[in-house]
Amino acid sequence: MSNASAPSLSWWGRIQRWMSGGTLLPEDRKHQMLRDLPLLAIDLELTSLDAKKSKVTSIGWVEGKAGSIDVSSCYYEVVRATGDLEQSPVIHGLTAETIAQGVHVKEALEKLIPYAQSHVWVLHNAGLDLAVLDRVMAANKLHIDNVITLDTLKLAVYQLQKQHEVLPPNSATLTVCRQRHHLPLAPAHNALDDAMATLQLWFAQYYSLDPKGTMSIQDFTHTQAVGCRNLGKIDN
Amino acid sequence: MSATPQQVLDFLKTSAPFDVLADDVLHDLARHARLIYLAAENQKQLLQENADRLFLIQSGQFSVKDSDGPERHLSEGDYFGFHSIIDSVSHPVEVKIDSPGLVYCFEPDAFKALLTIPEVANFFEGTKSDALQNQAVQDSNSMWLYKSLSEVIERPPVSADIGLSVQQAAALMSENNVSSLLITESEKLAGIVTDRDLRNRVVATALNTQLPVSAIMTDKPAMITHNRTMFDAMALMSERNIHHLPVVDRVTRQPVGMVTASDIIRHQKGNVLFIIGELSKAQNLYELTRLSWQMPHYLATHAKRPGDYDIAGKVLAQATDIMTRKLITFYQQQHGAAPMPYTWIVYGSQAREDQTMGSDQDNGLLLARTPNELEAEYFAGMAEYVCNGLGKCGIKLCPGNIMASNPELRVSLDEAIKEAQQWVKQPTSKAIMYFNIFLDARAAAGDVELFRKMQMARAPLLKQKMFLAALARQANSDSVPLSMFQKFVFEKGHTVKDAIDLKIKAIAIINNLVRLYALDNGLTMPSTLARLASLPAGAGLSSRDANNLRDIWLFLTRLRWRHQLHNKVTDNLVSISDLSSIEKHQLKAAFKAIDRAQQAAVMKFSGGMS
Repeated sequence: MSNASAPSLSWWGRIQRWMSGGTLLPEDRKHQMLRDLPLLAIDLELTSLDAKKSKVTSIGWVEGKAGSIDVSSCYYEVVRATGDLEQSPVIHGLTAETIAQGVHVKEALEKLIPYAQSHVWVLHNAGLDLAVLDRVMAANKLHIDNVITLDTLKLAVYQLQKQHEVLPPNSATLTVCRQRHHLPLAPAHNALDDAMATLQLWFAQYYSLDPKGTMSIQDFTHTQAVGCRNLGKIDN
Repeated sequence: MSATPQQVLDFLKTSAPFDVLADDVLHDLARHARLIYLAAENQKQLLQENADRLFLIQSGQFSVKDSDGPERHLSEGDYFGFHSIIDSVSHPVEVKIDSPGLVYCFEPDAFKALLTIPEVANFFEGTKSDALQNQAVQDSNSMWLYKSLSEVIERPPVSADIGLSVQQAAALMSENNVSSLLITESEKLAGIVTDRDLRNRVVATALNTQLPVSAIMTDKPAMITHNRTMFDAMALMSERNIHHLPVVDRVTRQPVGMVTASDIIRHQKGNVLFIIGELSKAQNLYELTRLSWQMPHYLATHAKRPGDYDIAGKVLAQATDIMTRKLITFYQQQHGAAPMPYTWIVYGSQAREDQTMGSDQDNGLLLARTPNELEAEYFAGMAEYVCNGLGKCGIKLCPGNIMASNPELRVSLDEAIKEAQQWVKQPTSKAIMYFNIFLDARAAAGDVELFRKMQMARAPLLKQKMFLAALARQANSDSVPLSMFQKFVFEKGHTVKDAIDLKIKAIAIINNLVRLYALDNGLTMPSTLARLASLPAGAGLSSRDANNLRDIWLFLTRLRWRHQLHNKVTDNLVSISDLSSIEKHQLKAAFKAIDRAQQAAVMKFSGGMS
């Protein structure tokens, strides 16, 4: 990994990050145009909403670029997990038995790692999923630097805040956001379907915000939807 | 592990014609698909990247030009880009984004592979020619009922001159291995001899077999003209309880064939006509009403196949005719024969023979001349008795009082002709609304010749250009329930949210259009299908359009009947969610075709003014 542009653990890195509103984009990527950026929409199904102890039960992703989604790039894997699944079987339809037959989480993560530099990741509510990924990668002694992410939830909040002082309840869930953009109903709570749905939502959001296709990743940071972070090691 | 999102499979599974694909084929198609978010901002690039692919819209609205044809307004479930693939000619695809959305793209090779599946190929062939996919109609195993007898008859009849002896006639029958023989006199049908006659009238009575055959034949037998349908023949045989029905040429009256009971059995698979036979056996009003009330139940249990729905309207209309004739007979048994020739005329759906469970009675009486007081009283009594009797048999009284019991609808021939002159003189839209129903008329009982005279006198009046122009404008006042983007528009104010009134919004429009062409060509038969079949070349409606309208009419009639029988209702509010994916597509195609036919009729008859 070249260190010239990577934020280090140094105080300078911290200051830069603080100065840029929490997002420090690598020099070589921040001017990339959003218009034809390779994207990877990811979704994790988790056993709880607590990032500190939640387990991954399944992971799904799909690639897209410039308004186009390649169905053959879809990836989905059930992840082996033990212990308390909490509400997960109810919500995601994955039973303990299915989960016991899943792959080790490390196997899925290793497939994900190559996408860190080549693609910008798209998630709905990136915070939780990334926090869990961070923890699980660290536990498996994996790490990646400078993953650039786009959060469709934060982008929806940014758009909604232009119209509302206080956001209406549930106005930023994936399903409701999609409805606002007249996207069809999609089955929810399956990692792959949610990833697919998130990517469609991103396209709808993006084309309404940047009709001329002139914005770079950097230009988008004011929406709070862009993130850049390291996963798998304690960086702050 | 590569996988396919459920939403992709779910959508493809509900999109005709892909809904017929086997699971593995569907999965393969899905896996190799590409999903694009087509917006004004990216359409140029995306269409370039996906040139030559097949597009299927999942959401959004687009105006698309992808062939030599006109621009099409498309939305969910519609395809584009297939012309290039099917024709192997590159048509550039131009899209205007009316509202952005998701569109699936399929590789041309994957699509070509699917075209080897007949359902898929037929679907796109149909979409391409923009005609209704009429495969279901062709498949119908009851379509033979609509065949004219000239198509059904397999060989010329075995006939003999009236001069032959009984023995010679019998020898001729053995030689030809037939159970009946037509007897002609100067080449016109004079009588019929059957096996039963030979048994009952010859052998049993030890008759001299050298006597002329005229001694044992049934003279003036029931007959039917060759342009009528198999169904008409069956109804007549059922009503008269005969097993042999001679078929004669409509003009020359020369015998051209014979329909027998065994012909019918051979053709017939399930019998929805049983009820007609039963009705005609009724001896009194009580029996008649008892049988009539079984009819809805009978149709509901026996009409299972699509083809049964095609004839259900005819069955009902003919049953209503028989009820009418029976009631007239009962009345005459008590009050004596009619004092003058008359015709019991039926109008509207009964005349067109597209009656449904919800149809009310529309009828009138045509009298040979203006009756005196006593005669008027006789007909008033008869009309009252028959209309009420029909009501008791379950044919609702007409709320608009279009019934023979209304004195205004008992008119003499002269008055009837004057009436038509009035219509033609002042075809205001209000007047048309009123007399439209009388333009579909049929003689159900009484003197057919009298009715024919009226029709002959009216036909030239009703052909007048100004009159037809007014009718065309009126016919254009209702339109098919499709929005600009070809989405269904639902009836408001009903508990079912996705209902469409198939009668007002589609079937009646076809009936109105076909009536226009029929009047213009002086055709007097009332049935929409018969009119379509009889329109001469150059009638202004191409035979392709006529065939399409026929298929559409049958298709709509099926949907309506299935709705009424399945849901046990008498309305025409068909719920879109009750339709299969392919039926939704067909319905949309049907509506589009009706709309086009409507525009064409307005152009032809009212010079484009509507």
